[in-house]
Amino acid sequence: MDHFPTNWGRPRNDMFDAYGTYPIHQRPDNRPKDTFADSVQRTQQPIVTGTSVLAIKFKDGIMMAADNLASYGSLARFKDVQRLHPVGRYTVIGAGGDMSDFQHIQHILEEVQIAESTQQDGHELGPVEIHEYMSQVMYARRSKLDPLWNSLLIGGFKDGKRFLSYVDLLGTTYSASTLATGFGAYIAQPLLRKAVEGHEDDLTAEQAQNILEYCMRVLFYRDARSLDKYQIATITAEGVNISGSLKLQTSWDFAENIRGYGAQTQ
Amino acid sequence: MSSFNPYTQNGGTILAIAGADFSVVAGDTRQSEGYNIQTRYAPKVFRLTDRAVLAVNGFAADGNMFVKKVKQRLEWYRHAHAKDMPLRSIARLIQTMLYSRRFFPYYVYNILGGIEEDGSGAVYSFDPVGSYERETCRAAGPAQSLLQPFLDNQIYFKNQQPAPGMSHPTHLPLQAVLALVIDSFTSATERHIEVGDGLEMYIILGKGRGLQGLEGVKGVQELTISEDGERIFVVRRELKKD
Amino acid sequence: MTSIGTGYDLSASTYSPDGRIFQVEYATKAVENSGTAIGLRVKDGIVLGVEKLIHSKLLVPGANRRIQTVDRHIGMATAGLLADGRNVANRARDESSQIRGLWREPPTVKELADRLALYAQAYTLYSSVRPFGISTIFGGVDKTGPSLFVVEPSGVCLGYHGAAVGKGRQLAKTELEKLKLSELSMREAVIEAARIIYIVHDDNKEKEFELEMSWAGDETGGLHVPVPADLLAEAEQKAREALETFE
Repeated sequence: MDHFPTNWGRPRNDMFDAYGTYPIHQRPDNRPKDTFADSVQRTQQPIVTGTSVLAIKFKDGIMMAADNLASYGSLARFKDVQRLHPVGRYTVIGAGGDMSDFQHIQHILEEVQIAESTQQDGHELGPVEIHEYMSQVMYARRSKLDPLWNSLLIGGFKDGKRFLSYVDLLGTTYSASTLATGFGAYIAQPLLRKAVEGHEDDLTAEQAQNILEYCMRVLFYRDARSLDKYQIATITAEGVNISGSLKLQTSWDFAENIRGYGAQTQ
Repeated sequence: MSSFNPYTQNGGTILAIAGADFSVVAGDTRQSEGYNIQTRYAPKVFRLTDRAVLAVNGFAADGNMFVKKVKQRLEWYRHAHAKDMPLRSIARLIQTMLYSRRFFPYYVYNILGGIEEDGSGAVYSFDPVGSYERETCRAAGPAQSLLQPFLDNQIYFKNQQPAPGMSHPTHLPLQAVLALVIDSFTSATERHIEVGDGLEMYIILGKGRGLQGLEGVKGVQELTISEDGERIFVVRRELKKD
Repeated sequence: MTSIGTGYDLSASTYSPDGRIFQVEYATKAVENSGTAIGLRVKDGIVLGVEKLIHSKLLVPGANRRIQTVDRHIGMATAGLLADGRNVANRARDESSQIRGLWREPPTVKELADRLALYAQAYTLYSSVRPFGISTIFGGVDKTGPSLFVVEPSGVCLGYHGAAVGKGRQLAKTELEKLKLSELSMREAVIEAARIIYIVHDDNKEKEFELEMSWAGDETGGLHVPVPADLLAEAEQKAREALETFE
């Protein structure tokens, strides 16, 4: 029973109380809701994404490759993005997946490095430590159901030892002499294994770069979210070197002969 | 919008068999996700102490974290009591650790193998939330359904009639157990796509037991740290990589 | 100090009738008992120098550093209580990290020194705390170029071309004033800084000392790092030679 006499006998709209039939304190609120009104939203989806990262061991260290594209769904949104990031003097981290999460990762790694370097104790973080740290971060975030939506390859060379390992948004880790994330895990990984497994200690830098270039080209032909602009990172005893943007030489002549692709009418 | 799934399955299979005075814990080294082989070498079997070995299978990230935490608890135990935790206590520890995550479980099947304080070989198997029991043998992982019936038949002699006046042995000798383990994994490799690449077998021998059963086995590597106690070995074998 | 014993010096939260806060003045005294620390802001960078008095022969050389790194490009030298210096350094690192998180760029030395001045000042307000017994020289290079600031126990923060705190600050300031700081190079500044610390050190009264020096600027690629051992040795050699002809 509504004890508010002015309401008696009036029509009522429960969505919008046009007649002011409710007492103020129980008037329905149907204003547009704030984005976060339904409690905090944690689980997300990747928005601006990078595709494959490739990495292999070779004679003198580790070589990695990633293209410069950051996609917004199927839109090639940013075509000058660096997805290989140096961490200190011995390590490179390459990322597929959400690029804003990757920028966040770059930031926390920067913080960690500053915290370490301000100790001035002569210790520096190597690839092993960076990978362990990132594994813990990624696993902790997935356990909060608030993952950093990335697949990361971490490659490095320190104290005469090569290191190459993977970690992703679930905190899953593994290492091998060839690694590939994203679409590259399907397309490039078999090619890389064939070319590298058993030859890790023989491959020269030039051969390693040729293998990666070949795989990047295959990926550009086959992966709709890839780009023919890419970079190569080399980590050896000499330190980290990340190339400038490289352009893939491709040929699309064959397309003429594919029905439904070229200019054929029938 | 599909929500984030914090779990995945990383394939592989583990297996443990207890003898009268020894225990064997084995696992393959392939790690996979779907049809992808992530790596051909990711250990699933871990030495905890000189008399305890833990095999983990399921979601690899949870498995690695779980092993890390168990090892940490065992180290704290050593600091507090100046000795290694007994096997049955490790088993109970694992149960409480798993159950503490009852409502966000470690998606991992554990098998613990080793030597009890009374010198007997033992195998404990767990489900992801901590139910556990001591057994003579157990297989877990995607190829469990291939291996467990085979072990039931060969170790528990299920569906086998002893010869008149004879009885089945309760425990098999080490040599026979190793042969069964290797055969199990070669067979699982043939018939299951998630099994293969490499095999790691940990062998824990009771205090004062000789090496009988290990002679002639190729590539045995000893991992024992303390003297005059149980001894622990690892044997590695290649498995097919296809 | 005629007001001692009147009760107004027991708490930092109480003024004396003539408007002073004695706890802050006592903190300043703690600084004056300490080995000298100097900072030079020159053409292409900054140099920090500390006269670290060795109170025991049993100490390991290089122990108890009084120059600390706050961020890649910022360092600080303290005069006063060593432990307070550690606390301030940790606070400075946190502040620096926070500024970075907010602006996604390296903080300027001024921003950082201002924040630590607020921190020091907060310790002059409450009866439950004592003011820091240190004066801190913040030095570094940022987007504005080389810069040098001093934060006092009172919470005062001022920028300088050349700064000196601790026991020998008067003499050090006199020497600094003779230099054309804005024309010196970092290398020249290292030599001068070493010379000043040696001059300021009172051989008769004091025990041994260690010269501790760091720099940041073009020579170091913008990083705050210790002065390399060979340059430090050269500077000390020249400082000793200069000492012979001094006065």
